Amino acid sequence: MNKQVRIKINNSDYLMYDDITVLMACRNAGIKIPTLCYLEGVSQRASCGLCVVEVKGAKSLMRACVTNIREGIEIFTNTKRVRQARKTNLELLLANHPRNCLQCNKNMKCELQSMADELDVRECNYPNIRKRKVPVDNTSHSLFRDHEKCILCARCVEVCSQVQTVDAIEIAGRGMDAHVTTFFDRGLGNSECVNCGQCLLVCPTGALMAKSEVDSVWSEIDNPEKFVIIQTAPAIRAAIGEEFGFPPGTGTTGKLVAALKKMSFDRVFDTQFSADLTIIEEGNELIERIKTGGTLPMITSCSPGWIRFAEKFYPGVLDHISSCKSPQQMFGSVAKTYYARKLKIDPRKISVISVMPCTAKKFEARRPEMTSAFEYWKKELNLKDKDSFPDVDYVLTTREMADMIREAGIDFVNLSGERFDSPLGMSTGAATIFGATGGVMEAALRTAYFELTGSRLPKLELEEVRGLKGIKEASLDIKGKRINVAVSHGLKNARQLLRQIKEGKSPYHFIEIMTCPGGCIGGGGQPIPAGYEILKKRIGALYQEDQEMQIRQSHENPAVMELYENFLEKPLGKMSHKLLHTNYTGKGIYI
Amino acid sequence: MNPKTAGKIDGIIKKHSEGHGRLLGMLEEIQRENPHNYLPADSLEYVARKTSIPYAKIYGVVTFYSFFNLIPQGEHCISICRGTACHTKGSKKILDFLRKNYEFEGEDTNDAKLFLTTKDRKLTLRSVACFGQCALAPVVEIDGDIYGNMKVETLKKIIEKF
Ligand code: SF4
Ligand code: SF4
Ligand code: SF4
Ligand code: FES
Repeated sequence: MNKQVRIKINNSDYLMYDDITVLMACRNAGIKIPTLCYLEGVSQRASCGLCVVEVKGAKSLMRACVTNIREGIEIFTNTKRVRQARKTNLELLLANHPRNCLQCNKNMKCELQSMADELDVRECNYPNIRKRKVPVDNTSHSLFRDHEKCILCARCVEVCSQVQTVDAIEIAGRGMDAHVTTFFDRGLGNSECVNCGQCLLVCPTGALMAKSEVDSVWSEIDNPEKFVIIQTAPAIRAAIGEEFGFPPGTGTTGKLVAALKKMSFDRVFDTQFSADLTIIEEGNELIERIKTGGTLPMITSCSPGWIRFAEKFYPGVLDHISSCKSPQQMFGSVAKTYYARKLKIDPRKISVISVMPCTAKKFEARRPEMTSAFEYWKKELNLKDKDSFPDVDYVLTTREMADMIREAGIDFVNLSGERFDSPLGMSTGAATIFGATGGVMEAALRTAYFELTGSRLPKLELEEVRGLKGIKEASLDIKGKRINVAVSHGLKNARQLLRQIKEGKSPYHFIEIMTCPGGCIGGGGQPIPAGYEILKKRIGALYQEDQEMQIRQSHENPAVMELYENFLEKPLGKMSHKLLHTNYTGKGIYI
Repeated sequence: MNPKTAGKIDGIIKKHSEGHGRLLGMLEEIQRENPHNYLPADSLEYVARKTSIPYAKIYGVVTFYSFFNLIPQGEHCISICRGTACHTKGSKKILDFLRKNYEFEGEDTNDAKLFLTTKDRKLTLRSVACFGQCALAPVVEIDGDIYGNMKVETLKKIIEKF
């Protein structure tokens, strides 16, 4: 049992439960303690030394992030000794750190930089002791690591281990050789890393960054030969506003579309169109698996980090994963086949750019099998293998998109809303909620229920699968048959559901697995910071938008219906299989 | 990896199946059993696969403790002091003599942190910051024994007798 204790902070009395750290106690008392390495609930390596406080009776200063309170403890957070020590500790970190903030991608968004400002560190008198230069890690399609800017706080290591249970990275070497790295320094691209980018969301410096594709996208826009189509994922509209000073949770769909139109993309389309398409294919796949005794539970496939995780760690469950491509990839193949035909444009002239909340999408777009449009046109256009082109050409993160909008000099805040172009910009509320954990499940059940019963779900909102609980469950009666579903986000939580499957004990028919905490709205490409309170607000914006949409079920999307009528014929049909489905290979780690 | 080595590692893993310093004990023994006294990548991959200890964690451990070797060691080890006293008394000369006359492998960029082994795995050459025996400069350690006032000629003779 926790008991209440009397403590003193800066000579004021407080009564607090004794199961908390000095850091927490100070925060409860409204006193700010600087921290760099600490990450609530995730990382407590106590390596930075910025959180030191004086405790009466203790000889040395104590690190507030790892010291617990106790009856009678007297804490001082603002003595000369404390201020000096914090400064010194920060100066020691800065000694080994480059000073080229102006050229740094994190400039003005950097925790280290603002900490130096906050602690009033204006000079640094310690020599740089990091002698060996570890080369930048450029092996991944999604991430980029610049060791020089790393302060070895290990937040990335802990997130990768505690939240994602991927454990791709660790601090290797010691002293001046210490650096965050993968097994034998092989690089993230050759490791078990699933490209989720959760590590870079928590990096306090510019040491970890998404691979930028901004320059390539500018060149596509500037190339008069190219017909440039942009698609934006559901989670972007609920977060990009933060980049322009809107409070978290502000939906900015109309402004986003307006900004993209101003940037002279030839078409501004919506990944939500293909999210609706995904639901139809995936819903039908589920029904077919249930009816024909196929492999169950079926697991969603739209999160490329999760796919990578399964291929690396759970090759045995690949049969359970829906064969549907992710909405991003479905969009690419539809744009370069159906839409190219419709406009009578050579598919090779079309450039498909995505804006994604996700760093793993960069990797996904480069998977060698994601060239369905090329396969489709091969014969007709007499193409050779070397002419192969990807379904999706470039992937921008939400942050990169915001950078481009700023660079283009667009006054995002004051734009009046515009609407997506037709037809691949048409979508439903079911697609909007894809961006939140539980959203794909909810959207799929809206449609599966209709397909099986011919009527609309009495209540479209499936509250049980909403919210930030790690694993959510629901059970539905569809025509006398019980359908059990589960939803997880954050790969650590996925492991529980996967263990049940491995042991043959999974009670579910359908499982949604999202790589990132909160779902796509918490993706590695989203605005920073992205703490739980912010995630909740972004999710709120999506559900609200769903509520306000006229059409809220994927099978009612008229543009998708038209696509089936004029091109695909029917869900799970021959054309669908060619363009919208894929398969997976169990790669294991280093085998 | 050949089945014999795998079998050996299996046995070692089994022996260290629980307890705190489990990984350390395991790795030490695997290194000891290795004919070249080091931990090859494939052995560590094997350990990771068999124990489910993350690859990166294992790499973190083997790079933290200096007694783990990640490159093959020679049958004999020569450590040369690169402290100031030894430098003035000619330790660089000894180093260059070895470099010139034996075919070493490894990253040879920093005199202060040398760790090289000959292609035939006979000799390992390391540099050491200071043995604390500056009066005897230049100091060389050969297979654990300290030699003071070392000269190229003497060293040559010692190596020839190996
Ligand atoms: S990481 Fe931060 S402090 Fe370092 S160069 Fe970049 S902006 Fe400046
Ligand atoms: S991207 Fe994800 S899996 Fe890769 S190192 Fe970062 S947290 Fe780990
Ligand atoms: S890469 Fe960033 S999060 Fe990781 S240890 Fe370095 S500074 Fe910390
Ligand atoms: S925050 Fe406590 S030591 Fe870094």
